[in-house]
Amino acid sequence: MKSFQYVSPRTVDGAVSLAANQGRFLAGGIDILGEMKDYIASPQLLVNVKDLPATREITSGKESWTIGANVTISEIEQHAELKRVFPGLQQAAAEVGSPQIRNVATVGGNLAQHSRCWYYRHRDIHCLKKGGDTCYAHDGENKYHSLFSGNPCISPVVSNLAIALAALDAKAIVRHGKEEVALSIADLYAKAWDNPEAHNSLVPTDLVLRVQIPDGGRRSAYQQVSEKASFDWALVSCAAAAKVDGTKLSKVRVVLGAVAPIPWQVQAAHDFLEGKKLDDDVAAHAAEMILKDAVPREHNGYKVPIAQALIRRTLKQLIG
Amino acid sequence: MLSWPEKREVIGQATLRVDAPAKVTGAARYSSDVQPEGWLYGMIYRSRWPAAKVTAINIEKAKQIPGIKAVVVERDGERTVRFYGEELAAVAGTSKQACLDALLVIEVEATPLPFVVKEETAKNPNSSRVWPDAANLSDPNVREKGDVDKAFAAAAAVVEGFFTTPTQLHQPLETHGNTVSVTYDGVTCWASTQGIFSVRDGLADYLEVPHEKVRVITDHMGGGFGSKFGPGAEGGLAGRLSKAAGAPVKIMLTRFDQSLAVGNRPSSFQQIKLGADADGKMVAFEMDSFGTAGIGAGASSAGGGGGAGFPAPYIYVVPNIRVKQSSVAINAGQSRAFRAPGHPIASFGMESIVDALAVKLKMDPVELRLKNDPNKIRQREYAIGIERFGWKQKYKPPGSSPGPIKVGVGCAGATWGGGGRGSEAEVRINPDGSVEVRCGTQDLGTGTRTLVAVVAAEVFGLKPEQITAKIGDTQFPPSGGSGGSSTAPSVCPAIFVACTNALQDLQKQSGMADARGSNWAAACRKLGVNPLTSHGKWQEGLSSSGAGGVQFAEVEVDTETGFVKVRKILCVQDCGLIVDKLTCETQINGGVIMGLGYALYEERVMDATTGVVLNPNFETYKVPNFADVPEIEVILVDMPERGVIGVGEPATIPTAGAIANAVANAIGVRVNSLPITPARVLAALGKVGKVGAA
Repeated sequence: MKSFQYVSPRTVDGAVSLAANQGRFLAGGIDILGEMKDYIASPQLLVNVKDLPATREITSGKESWTIGANVTISEIEQHAELKRVFPGLQQAAAEVGSPQIRNVATVGGNLAQHSRCWYYRHRDIHCLKKGGDTCYAHDGENKYHSLFSGNPCISPVVSNLAIALAALDAKAIVRHGKEEVALSIADLYAKAWDNPEAHNSLVPTDLVLRVQIPDGGRRSAYQQVSEKASFDWALVSCAAAAKVDGTKLSKVRVVLGAVAPIPWQVQAAHDFLEGKKLDDDVAAHAAEMILKDAVPREHNGYKVPIAQALIRRTLKQLIG
Repeated sequence: MLSWPEKREVIGQATLRVDAPAKVTGAARYSSDVQPEGWLYGMIYRSRWPAAKVTAINIEKAKQIPGIKAVVVERDGERTVRFYGEELAAVAGTSKQACLDALLVIEVEATPLPFVVKEETAKNPNSSRVWPDAANLSDPNVREKGDVDKAFAAAAAVVEGFFTTPTQLHQPLETHGNTVSVTYDGVTCWASTQGIFSVRDGLADYLEVPHEKVRVITDHMGGGFGSKFGPGAEGGLAGRLSKAAGAPVKIMLTRFDQSLAVGNRPSSFQQIKLGADADGKMVAFEMDSFGTAGIGAGASSAGGGGGAGFPAPYIYVVPNIRVKQSSVAINAGQSRAFRAPGHPIASFGMESIVDALAVKLKMDPVELRLKNDPNKIRQREYAIGIERFGWKQKYKPPGSSPGPIKVGVGCAGATWGGGGRGSEAEVRINPDGSVEVRCGTQDLGTGTRTLVAVVAAEVFGLKPEQITAKIGDTQFPPSGGSGGSSTAPSVCPAIFVACTNALQDLQKQSGMADARGSNWAAACRKLGVNPLTSHGKWQEGLSSSGAGGVQFAEVEVDTETGFVKVRKILCVQDCGLIVDKLTCETQINGGVIMGLGYALYEERVMDATTGVVLNPNFETYKVPNFADVPEIEVILVDMPERGVIGVGEPATIPTAGAIANAVANAIGVRVNSLPITPARVLAALGKVGKVGAA
């Protein structure tokens, strides 16, 4: 790690203007400190955003819930009401890292975290994502990489919360320049689809302030498969949400994580599921639709059957 | 000749570690905790090329960094580096940040050379060479017995398989490193080591001082598993930096460095063929294998010391065998001895093919083993295990459990020579009754202090907590390195002899016929002013070698996601006379957990294009967490008549084979490569590459 300066502004305006000058935001620090220690990022200034006002609350309004960007992952995991209203979000939070990480990692940081690709994270490899010429994973060690990508970089999005929040039609409220904008989760990551250097759609001075989740009376579920039982990244994750009437689904969302640079959802599958009574065949057909365009590489083809199993299981969990 | 007492009060009981309170409160001082007055941080500059001709290393800018007190190059002149991470220079400074900044301004002139980091590529005759004068692939080490071809032709059943095991990293929780203080009077080294005397000698030779001028201290250390016998490049560099800076220098490797240059278990690629007659008696065995020990390959390194050779057909007696084993050099860090060198590799391949044979013969796998493994102790252990595990109820035809989540069981056996000798000990009995026992061994983390206290307490009729066990200092009587399961059989007899001598001396001096137990305080008071000091050496007859051990595994496998969960491991293990039941069982637990990691998670991943280790961290080099650890049941077979035998190695040998066999039993097909990841399970089930298949 290189030496850096540290500031602790009290206002969002202050934070954003400080970040404009070679700065990076610091909340839980799980992602940025790792990048700095590995010389992936060497900001001259760390802008502490933990003390910004109104960023640590979980509140419910008439039609939606608001979760501040500085709410920790463990606060979501342990919030009884959230667990009841958005079980999929709670399950996604519970699978993040270890208890120690969840105690300091924040919602904002989880959404804005950078690629975990082992080429990107290696201090001596200058890959496409770092502005180099080559995605080494493409023909290299790609067991943890994407099945879908709109650009030559095949590093996947790994934020658990993004997957669950996408299924819940949440919006990220982001301070962008002088205004606050509400981005869908799809919009929050859209840039990573075709820009190999992007991890998400945010520019360095964009600051996630909170997320809003509509409370539409939908059920939700989240499951992931990792190589280890805990404290491990998802090989594939899957979140689903729907209104459930008996076995009949409506307003269905199914989202996959760790298979694309964006939370992966297929509109045709959502349309197919709309109004259907869920059974094994319906679930399997939806799974096929969602994986239809997958482009497996040499070492990641196994993600296809895992994704299909998770889609079937997560959908079933909704009606269970 | 001395022998262990028939009736034992302390030995064989479950004695809590004497240093447990210090460890749980944090009072125990590990080597990495040591901070002598005026100490400096030290760090190593490593090659960023997997192969290169290095023509110049410029350290001048590094010397100018504020806080930097010394910079040294690893060796002068032109050199060829042969793996990413090879040590080139080192810096010492007053802060970690000063060292980090200094590393960034070291300038190296180098011409990159071709390299190869994948075994299958390296063995190709056209591959670039790791060493210019030798092919990467060594001539095979060939062993042949009987008439293999004829025996296969006559066999009733023949099975074949290709099995692979990964390069496994040692990953002790305390990384490699030392704090070295070089002064006019001599050298003091606080080492994270499993061999204080081998560190002393290595460091003395490197610094060109007499051995007696070097003192090595290891109060507590955080694991080594075979990779921490010498001072290492990091120890030598710390010594040179200390000399140059005139201050103690501490170099503890980072987890990143740890993954590159301080050892590993060699990989293996094993083509195995096994034949048996209709009764299941093995008649023919053939193996063609290769593996890499990194840059340090070649047939000369085959064997127990971390080379790529391994025993075959392992614990089975087969009349006709043909074995060809080669090593292949790649541009990667060299292997070192790793807990039971060769054996987990051998066990996985052999136990896998034995199970395949059992399936082909439609025979119970344990029955097949009993027919072909003549070892009496393992035969007994299988009999105990079958009952305890409920093998006959649990073993079902492969793949026959219903539903997508399938259950299976498997077993495997182990052998380990071990044995130890040569330790010496000194006992000091004070007039107030306190006892100090000194031995220049070290605690690798397995509880050596406790064994010292237990044996002394047994002899004196005292409680272990009344004994002060002093170890981990080369000023104490000499003992060997802690490796090869040799510590307990080397140390315990020396303590026993020294304490027995001390007791005799005390009884003589005090005039009391029996100074033990309730007479102890009175006898010691009669010593007057001066303490009594006695010595003792290891003697024949109190220890031996040769442990067996069998393990049974029960797993469940999710055939839709490929996820393997180990439900239970049963270990039935002999190790001669059990000294402390508790440390023995916990050492076995650790061995099983390490075997679990080998079976399911661990693998060093090299990148062919860049030549680096892609997973030099615990994020992607995966070791088991508690959530992964199954119920582990240990049944100890106490054989006091054999004396003390170590148990460190055998406990980790059969775990991976037993788990692999359980997985195969669950899903009905074999996963022939470790680690058994979801990707490999799904591939074995034929589910990969078929988009849309359920």
